[in-house]
Amino acid sequence: MPTVPSKKTDQRDLFRGALEMMILRSLQREPMHGYALVQHIQQRSKDLLQVEEGSLYPALQRLLKEGLLKAEWEISASNRKVRTYRVTPAGKKHLDREISSFERMLEAISLVLSPASNES
Amino acid sequence: MNWFQQLFGRRKIYGDLSEEIRQHLVEKTDALVAKGMSRADAELTARREFGNVTGIEEQGREAWLVPFIDSLYADSKYAFRQLRKNFGFTLTAIVTLALGIGATTAIFSLVNTVLLQPLPFPAPERLVWMSQQDHSLPGVQPETLSYPDFFDWRASQHSFDGIAAYAGTTVTLVTQREPRHLDAAVVSSEFFRVLGTAPMIGRDLRPEDEKAGNRAVMLSYSLWQSAFGSAPDIASRTIRLGDQDYAVAGVMPKNFEFPINSPATTMWISVAHDAEGKDPKTGQRGFENLEVIGRLKSGATVEQAKADLSLIAANVARQNPDSNKWYTSALVEPELEHLTGDTRPALRILFGSVMLVLLMACANVAGLLLARGSRRGAEFALRASLGASRAVIVRQLLVESVALSFCGGIAGIVLAYGLLRGMVTLVPLDIPRMASTSIDGTVLAFVVLVSIITGLLFGVLPALRMSQQSRPGQLMREGSRTVAGGRGEHRIHNVLVVAQTAIGLVLLVGSGLLIRSFVHILNVNPGFDANHVLTARVDVSFNKLNHDQHVQFYNRLIERLAVMPGIESVSAGWPLPMSDSNASVSFSIEGRNTAKGDRPNESAGVVLPGYFKTMRIPLISGRAFGERDTTHAPPVMIVNQAFARKYFPHEDPLGKHIQVGLGDGVIDHPMREVVGIVGDIKRRGLTAADPEPQYYLPFSQALITNPYLTIRTTGDPSALRGSLRAAVEEIDKSVPIYQVSTLENYVSRSAAQPRFQTLLLSCFAAIALVLAAIGLYGLLSYMVAQRTLEIGLRMALGAKKADVLNMIVWRGLTLALIGLGAGLAISGMMTRVLSGMLYGVEPSDPMTFAGMTGVLLFVSLAASSIPAYRAAQLDPIETLREQ
Repeated sequence: MPTVPSKKTDQRDLFRGALEMMILRSLQREPMHGYALVQHIQQRSKDLLQVEEGSLYPALQRLLKEGLLKAEWEISASNRKVRTYRVTPAGKKHLDREISSFERMLEAISLVLSPASNES
Repeated sequence: MNWFQQLFGRRKIYGDLSEEIRQHLVEKTDALVAKGMSRADAELTARREFGNVTGIEEQGREAWLVPFIDSLYADSKYAFRQLRKNFGFTLTAIVTLALGIGATTAIFSLVNTVLLQPLPFPAPERLVWMSQQDHSLPGVQPETLSYPDFFDWRASQHSFDGIAAYAGTTVTLVTQREPRHLDAAVVSSEFFRVLGTAPMIGRDLRPEDEKAGNRAVMLSYSLWQSAFGSAPDIASRTIRLGDQDYAVAGVMPKNFEFPINSPATTMWISVAHDAEGKDPKTGQRGFENLEVIGRLKSGATVEQAKADLSLIAANVARQNPDSNKWYTSALVEPELEHLTGDTRPALRILFGSVMLVLLMACANVAGLLLARGSRRGAEFALRASLGASRAVIVRQLLVESVALSFCGGIAGIVLAYGLLRGMVTLVPLDIPRMASTSIDGTVLAFVVLVSIITGLLFGVLPALRMSQQSRPGQLMREGSRTVAGGRGEHRIHNVLVVAQTAIGLVLLVGSGLLIRSFVHILNVNPGFDANHVLTARVDVSFNKLNHDQHVQFYNRLIERLAVMPGIESVSAGWPLPMSDSNASVSFSIEGRNTAKGDRPNESAGVVLPGYFKTMRIPLISGRAFGERDTTHAPPVMIVNQAFARKYFPHEDPLGKHIQVGLGDGVIDHPMREVVGIVGDIKRRGLTAADPEPQYYLPFSQALITNPYLTIRTTGDPSALRGSLRAAVEEIDKSVPIYQVSTLENYVSRSAAQPRFQTLLLSCFAAIALVLAAIGLYGLLSYMVAQRTLEIGLRMALGAKKADVLNMIVWRGLTLALIGLGAGLAISGMMTRVLSGMLYGVEPSDPMTFAGMTGVLLFVSLAASSIPAYRAAQLDPIETLREQ
């Protein structure tokens, strides 16, 4: 039965675009395949971010579609058939933009959250 | 990757995704096994930590969807599967829709070609037709121009880039092969420039080609091909027309056609043709035979042009009261409008009727969908419980109905093509451009549009209705049969049937009126006997033979023909009734003083002895023309009864003297004695109004044109074509014969347009009748099926077969009667639009109204009795057991 595809985002614990940002950042350092990417993110976040392994894949598909990543089937060092993702130039530009706006937002949030001192 | 490639490259994308996920799970499992977990546990853990594989895959795929297109695609796929599954239903619906869409498409192609397509010239919107207006008669009476009038207009006008005159004529083309009689036009020098088309070979006509001695001719492409083998040096040749030479100016491009009529014009002759001889037409202000077209200056309007020309006409009228007294203003209208003016109302009515047929088809299919929808209740309820919103269900149902109407549209195109073939063979020759009707891009676009609109139209009511049933709570209830069935859907269904009956009656009444009118037309007595008469003209040269020789030629020809087997009597006359030829010539009655500009004019004819006998036009009093009325005998004339009534209401016209303004160069305007009175005839056509005054002169005393031979035969007139040819060739082999036809043919052509309209509208009415019957039948059958249990119960409780029969028939009749009532009211209002097409029948003709109501009532009764009979045959025991 046909239905309208829902646009619900799947990582409610993360703010919008955070997962994508992490993926782009990780892949920028080093092209990886899906499984390695999951391991990488979990290790880097010291297991603080409990990302469901599978939720990575829809995000990867979205990035592929927008042309921010490209993917190729390769044989890994451990002799597995893996699909390796690389960041495209457009992906790099996108990441830079996202990070700078993320930093501005972080700054704004920390300003709001810090105890008010020099106002009165 | 653009979205289009994505749409079709998706299979690979999805494959990659599934494979990637599979590899992920394998790698994870291997990693866990390496840590010491058992393989079974490892596989489970890998899956658990990955999450819902199917769900994630789906989410991944969703990234690639174009939401609207994809759901439409899925809906269509589903729709076609549904349609295939219910083949009987689908076929019925498609046939119904094909009838509606096919008929509509055929008529639309006709309207498109005849009325909508611009004329095939550059900036066609600036081309206009113009004429002077005759104010001596009531109403708007256009009058053609004479050469002096045209020259004055051309010199003084300010509104046009150019104006040009033309007049149809016929010529005999003399080549090495046998002489050919051809349709041609005499045209003024700007003719081709006004039409914006340059010759393909050679030069345009020049102003000096209008002067005597400069005879020039422009050939059509087809004549250049057929008569001159596409000779490339044609523009340096001269050709012989009749007994005079014409310099070939050039050849027009292949598709150039103007005036637009059939048979097509084969060549355009310069005005020099009319500027020669003793009393050239170019100098006669009273000889009005020119049609005039013009190309408006850019920015000039029709109104401005009309004011401009009216001023000129008024001036000309003041200066030339003898000939132009009443032509004090001008008429101007766009050429396309002028060309199609007569056919516009008829085509509009046909298009309106066919739309009604389409509407009925829609109502019919809507009824079918409703009936089927109630059987699909469970399906929709299931979907609703699975989370489909109402909008989703409505959308899907609409996609289904549009898919259905597209199938109908495709079948309709096929049908339209066949209809058009048929129509073009029935074509009255005087609908311009109709023969070129075809199914082109515009028509196909129309079909697509009509299919979509039709699909939405018949789909929307059932879709809304069915989506109501789709509330999840309905799931259980709809699974079982109920006694009454859905009330609302019955109501809609009833309304649809009533509407169909009403529309059907409107179409039936309309076609009934046209049929009665047509029967009237066929029964009109034309005043002559058209059966068994062969007619033809021979092109005797006016230059080669002198007056006496010319008359002698006809006498000898008639003598020869008269003794041939199978021929009862022979004569000749002009104009032949219903042949579209005519000359109105002014006259003055002796003893009545009328100023020259106020002289009456009536239709004049020239006839040979025996004409009235051959045509069986009765001689009322006096005598007919005979052998004694030779060129040099006392000048005489015969008038018809209408003429006698109008001009001699209280006297006997016999013996009175009349001077007719018609001369042939030998006999000039003599005073003539009225020697006979003959019966009135329908000169213009069967539907012509009151008989018009006419007078006849002997051919020998007014040799103005080659008359039509009229040959009354004992058997089939067409069989005598050979005898006619032989008789002509015995006298002169070089004389071409043309316009060979039976007189009946002229009469039937004069009724061609009413025949065409009547036939088409009757076809539509027949389709409407069938649709109305099917609609009612469908509703009642459905009702019987729904109420089987109830009927079984009633019978078990003692109802007789007759009661059941009555119940169902009465239900059908009630609906039919409501529909008929509404239909009668609508017809009463609508048939007035037909009044211009009716002859001898009032638009409110009670006979037609009553008759057609009776027909539809009878058909409704028949349509109701089949399901009623079936219901009455139900076996109550078995019915109840089955439930």
